[in-house]
Amino acid sequence: MLQRCLHNKAFAIGASLLLLIVICAVFAPWLAPYDPYAQNLELRSVPPFWTEQGGWAHPLGTDQLGRDYLSRLMYGARISLLIGVSVALISGLIGTTMGLLAGYFGGKIDLLVTFLVTTRLSLPVILVALATVALVGGSLTVVILVLGLLKWDRFAVVMRSATQQVRALDYITAAQAAGASTPRILLGEVLPNVMPHLIVVATLEAASAILLEAALSFLGLGVQPPLPSWGLMISEAKADMFFAFWLIALPGGALATLIFAINLAGDGLHDLLGAEGRVG
Amino acid sequence: MPALKTLAAALLAAACVASTAAHATKKDDTLRFATDQAPESVDPFFNNVRIGVIIGANVWDTLIYRDPKTNEYKGNLAKSWKQVDERTLEFELREGIKFHNGEEFDADSVVFTLNFVGKADNKVTTQANVNWIEKAEKLDKFKVRITTKRTFPAAIEYLAGPVVIHPAKYYAQVGPKGMNEKPVGTGPYRVAAYVPGKSITLEKNTNYFKDSPKGSAKIGKLEIRFVPDQQTRMAEVLSKGVDLIMHVPKDQAEQMGKVPHLQVVSGETMRIVFLQFNTLDGAPGKALKDPRVRKAIAHAIDREGIVKNIVGAGARVLHSNCFPSQFGCTDEGMTRYKYDPVLAKKLLAEAGYPNGFETEIFAYRERHQTEAIISSLQAVGIKAKLGFSQYAAMREQVRANKSQISHQTWGSFSVNDVSASIPVYFAFEADDISRDAEVRDLLVRGNTSVEPTLRKAAYKVALTLIAERAYTVPLWSLPVFYAGSKELSFKAYPDEIVRFWEMSWK
Amino acid sequence: MSAFIAKRLGLAFLVAVAVSLIAFFLLRISGDPALAIAGEGASQADLDLIRRTYGFDRPLPIQYLDWLWRTVRGDFGDSIYFKTAAGPLIFSKLQTTLVLGFAALLCALLISIPLGVLAAIYKDSWIDRLCLGLAVVGQALPNFFFALLLIMVFSITLGWLPVSGSETWQHFVMPTLALGYYAAPAFMRLIRAGMIEVLEADYIRTARAYGLPAWRVILRHALRNAIIPVVALTAVQLGFLLGGSVVIETIFALDGLGYLAYQSITYKDFPVMQLIVLLLSVIYVVLTLAADIANAWLDPRIRVAAV
Repeated sequence: MLQRCLHNKAFAIGASLLLLIVICAVFAPWLAPYDPYAQNLELRSVPPFWTEQGGWAHPLGTDQLGRDYLSRLMYGARISLLIGVSVALISGLIGTTMGLLAGYFGGKIDLLVTFLVTTRLSLPVILVALATVALVGGSLTVVILVLGLLKWDRFAVVMRSATQQVRALDYITAAQAAGASTPRILLGEVLPNVMPHLIVVATLEAASAILLEAALSFLGLGVQPPLPSWGLMISEAKADMFFAFWLIALPGGALATLIFAINLAGDGLHDLLGAEGRVG
Repeated sequence: MPALKTLAAALLAAACVASTAAHATKKDDTLRFATDQAPESVDPFFNNVRIGVIIGANVWDTLIYRDPKTNEYKGNLAKSWKQVDERTLEFELREGIKFHNGEEFDADSVVFTLNFVGKADNKVTTQANVNWIEKAEKLDKFKVRITTKRTFPAAIEYLAGPVVIHPAKYYAQVGPKGMNEKPVGTGPYRVAAYVPGKSITLEKNTNYFKDSPKGSAKIGKLEIRFVPDQQTRMAEVLSKGVDLIMHVPKDQAEQMGKVPHLQVVSGETMRIVFLQFNTLDGAPGKALKDPRVRKAIAHAIDREGIVKNIVGAGARVLHSNCFPSQFGCTDEGMTRYKYDPVLAKKLLAEAGYPNGFETEIFAYRERHQTEAIISSLQAVGIKAKLGFSQYAAMREQVRANKSQISHQTWGSFSVNDVSASIPVYFAFEADDISRDAEVRDLLVRGNTSVEPTLRKAAYKVALTLIAERAYTVPLWSLPVFYAGSKELSFKAYPDEIVRFWEMSWK
Repeated sequence: MSAFIAKRLGLAFLVAVAVSLIAFFLLRISGDPALAIAGEGASQADLDLIRRTYGFDRPLPIQYLDWLWRTVRGDFGDSIYFKTAAGPLIFSKLQTTLVLGFAALLCALLISIPLGVLAAIYKDSWIDRLCLGLAVVGQALPNFFFALLLIMVFSITLGWLPVSGSETWQHFVMPTLALGYYAAPAFMRLIRAGMIEVLEADYIRTARAYGLPAWRVILRHALRNAIIPVVALTAVQLGFLLGGSVVIETIFALDGLGYLAYQSITYKDFPVMQLIVLLLSVIYVVLTLAADIANAWLDPRIRVAAV
C-alpha cells in the first residue's frame, strides 16, 4: 500500500506538502521565532529578507503592528487546519448519518433526506454564513459551527449512493439473516465499506471549509483579530497591497499551497481507493 | 492551447479599448468621489452616516452657517437672529432664495420643516438633533420664531449643523420617502441622479443665492460612488478612476503621498477616542470598581507613542473627555495620567492585583488602535481579550451592563458644543455606566443655563471630576486623511464635512 | 412524464416553503432587530417605537405568516436601511448579477471545454497532466485573492481596466474572470471524464475506422455526447455563481445583488437580506427543476428511476 501511495505522484506531492504544513502548525510554539501576538510599534511593516530593507531578524518581515509575520503564518496554519478538520468532522457526522440512513432504509427516510439535501443545496452558503456570522458575532467557534451545519450536503449525497450500492451485497444480507442489529450492521458492516468515499469527500470538504473561512474573514465577518487566520491576514493587509505586496502575497500563497496540497492528496486518495465522490 | 490564446487576445483587445476610454475628470469638469458607506436616506434627517452629513451640507442649507475657519456664526438662510428669552429665538430670513425645484424659500419652509422633524412621531433618525424643538411659528413671510422645550443654549449650533431646511409644499406632499427619492434643497449643489446603494450625482446649482456665506460651487459635476472595500477605493484613486477619497489609513496615506499624481491632505477631526469603564454594580469583573485599577490602566497606555506610530499626523493626545474646540471643553487643571508602566504596576499591586487580571475590551472600529492598547495592558500584567463587533451590537452589550472596558469613539454629530458629547456618557442616559450623580447635576446645570460663563464653569467641574475619578481614559482625537488628484484643490476640516462647493481645479 | 413533473414540482414547492422558513428565522436568531435599526444614540422610547412600527413585538409565527403572505402577494416591504421599496431595489440589481453570472459561466465553459477535450484526447500524456494540474491550482487559489491580483495587474500596473463600477462592459471583465475561473475545474473534470468514456465507445471507434477526420469525430460526435452531463452541472453551477458573487461584487463594487446582499448584511437590513436569500434560493430551485425536467425529457431512464 505504501509503495502504491509513493508511486501515485499526486498523492505523494500533496501528502508531503500537507505533512510539512501540519508539522509547522503542530510545532508552531517551538518553531516560530516570536510570539505571534507580540507587537513592536517601532518595527512595523518590515519587509521580508529578500528585499533591500529586509533582514534575518524577521525573515518574512512584520505586519502593520510590528508582529513577526513568519510566526503569525505558522500559527495561522493551526487555525486553517483546525477549521478544516472540525468542519469536516461536524458536517461529516451529520451528512454521513443522513446518507447511511437514506441509503440503507430507502423509502420515506430516503425521501426526507433528499428533501433536506435539496433544501440545503438551494441555500446560498456564503450568503447564509455571512448573515449568520454578522448577526451572532464572529468568532472561531461560530465560524466552525456555521460551516459545519451548512456543509454536510456532499457527505449525504455521496454516502447515500455508496450505501445503496453496498446494501445489496451478499455479506450485508447475510448479516441481516444472522439477526445482527441494524446499528451494528450500519456501523460494523456498511460504514467500513463506504469509508474510502467518506475520506475523499472529507478532504474536499475540509479544503472548501478553509477557503470559506478565509472568504468570511476577508469580508470581516469571520474569526476576529488578533487571531492570525490567513484570510484575516489578507483582509488586514489588503489596504497595504499596493505598497507592501508581500503582506497579502504571503498569507495568500500559504492558503493556496494548503488547499493545493489537500486537493492533490484528495485526488491521489481518490485514485488509490478507487472511490467516487468527485463532484467538483 | 488555442483557447487560452484566444482568451488572452480577447482580453488584450478589451483592455486596449478600456485604456483609450477617456477618464472623466478636470476636462469635463466632473469630480469623482468614492466613499465606503451608502446613506440610508438622502434626506439629512433620516440617516446617521458621514456621507449623509456631507451630502446634506452640499445639497441643503441651514438657517445659520458656522465658518469652519473662525468658528464664527454667520447668517445663511437667515439674515439675522436674536435670543428673545431663555427659550425663544427669532429669525429674520433672507429673501429671493429658490429651492432646486423652483419653490420659494420663506417662513413656511422653516416652520413646516422644524415642526415636522420636531415631532417624535415622524421618527427623525437622530432624535438628539431635533428633540429640543418645541415649535416654530411664522411671524410674517420672512420672519419666524423658534421655541425650545427647555433652556437650550446649543440651539444655534444645531441650527448651523444637522437641521437643514426643506421646501414646505414639496415636503408636505412627498414626505421623507419622496425627499429621499428626489431630493430638493437650496444648497450649492442639486441632486441630478440617485441610485440607492450605488451612486449619487450632483450638479452645480447655477441659481445659488449670492449672499450665502458658503459661496457658489466651482466644479460643475460631482459623482459620488459607494465602494465598500478600502483597497478598491485606493486602487481607484491610484489608477485615476476617482479623484478623491477620504478615511485613508495613516500608513497608506503616507505611501500615497509619494505617488506622483496624488496629494494627501490630513486634518484632525472632532471624533474623540476613549476607553470607557463599567463601574456599575453587577458588571462582569469587579476590578474596575477600584479607581486605582482604572488609573493604572490610564498610566499603562503610551498615548504619545501610539499617536505617533499608529494614529498619525493631525491627531492629538486628549486629557479630558471632549473635543477641545467644543464650547465648554477644557483640560485645564485636569488630572493627567502620563505613561508610566512602573507606577501602573504599583497601583495594581496596591489594589490587590500584583499579577494583573483578566478582562475584555469591546471595540467596533480602529482595530489597530485597540490591539495596540491591548498590548500596552499586557505589559503591566492585564490580559485583555478583544471583543470586536458592529457598533450597535457593542452598544447593546454596554447598555446591558455586560461590558468591562469599551473602546469608544464619539463624533458629537459635528456639533461644536460639549452638550453633544459628555452628557451622552455621564448624564444618566443609556450609555452612562458610571452613574455619578454629582457629575450629572453639574452637566444638567451646564446644559440648561443661558449664561456662557456659568455653563463653562459647570462643565469644567464635571470634566475635572470625571478625570479625577478616572471613569474614562481620554485617548486621542482621530485624524482624517484624504488622498486626491493633484489637479484638485481641496481642504480638510475638523467636522469631517467635505465642502465640495469650495473645491476647484488647479 | 406528467407524474414525474408533478412529483418534482411538489418537492420544489416544499423546498421553497422550507427555504422561506429558514430565511425568516435565520435572521431572527440574533434577537432584537430593533437595536440594529436604531443606530447611534437611540433612547429606550425610540426602540419601543421601532418595535411597534415594524411589528417586532408580535409572536414570531405570526410575524412569519404575515411576512410570507405579503411576500407571496408581491408586497416585499421597505428596505429598513435604504427607506425605499425592497422589491424594486432588489430587482433593479438582479440584472447586473445575472449578466455577471452568465458571463462567468461562459468564461468557465470557454476555459474548461477546450482543456477538458485536450486532456481526454491526450489522456495520460503531459498535456493531460498539465490540464489537471491547472485545475488543481485553479481550485486552490481563493477567488478574493485572485481578484486582488487582477486589480494589481490590470488596473494598477497596466492601467487597462477600471477597478470598480458597472457602467461599461469593461467593468465586467475582471469580476467575470475572478468568478468564472473558479467554476472551470469542475467542468473540466466532467468533460474530460465524459470524453474519455465516449471516445472509447464503439461508434466513435467505428467512425474513426471509417477514416473521418479526427477533429470532426471529436467535435461532432464525442463532444456532443460528453456535454450532456455538463448541462445538468451548469444549472447547479449557475446557482453557486449567483451566491458566490457576493464576495466578488463587493470587491469590485459591482452594483448587483451580491453587493446589495453584503450591504444589507452590514447594515442589518432584514427585509432585504431575507428577500435576497429567498430569491437566490428560489432561482436555484427553479433552475434545478428545469434541469431535471430537461434531463428526464432527454433521457427516459431517469423518469422511470425517479418515479
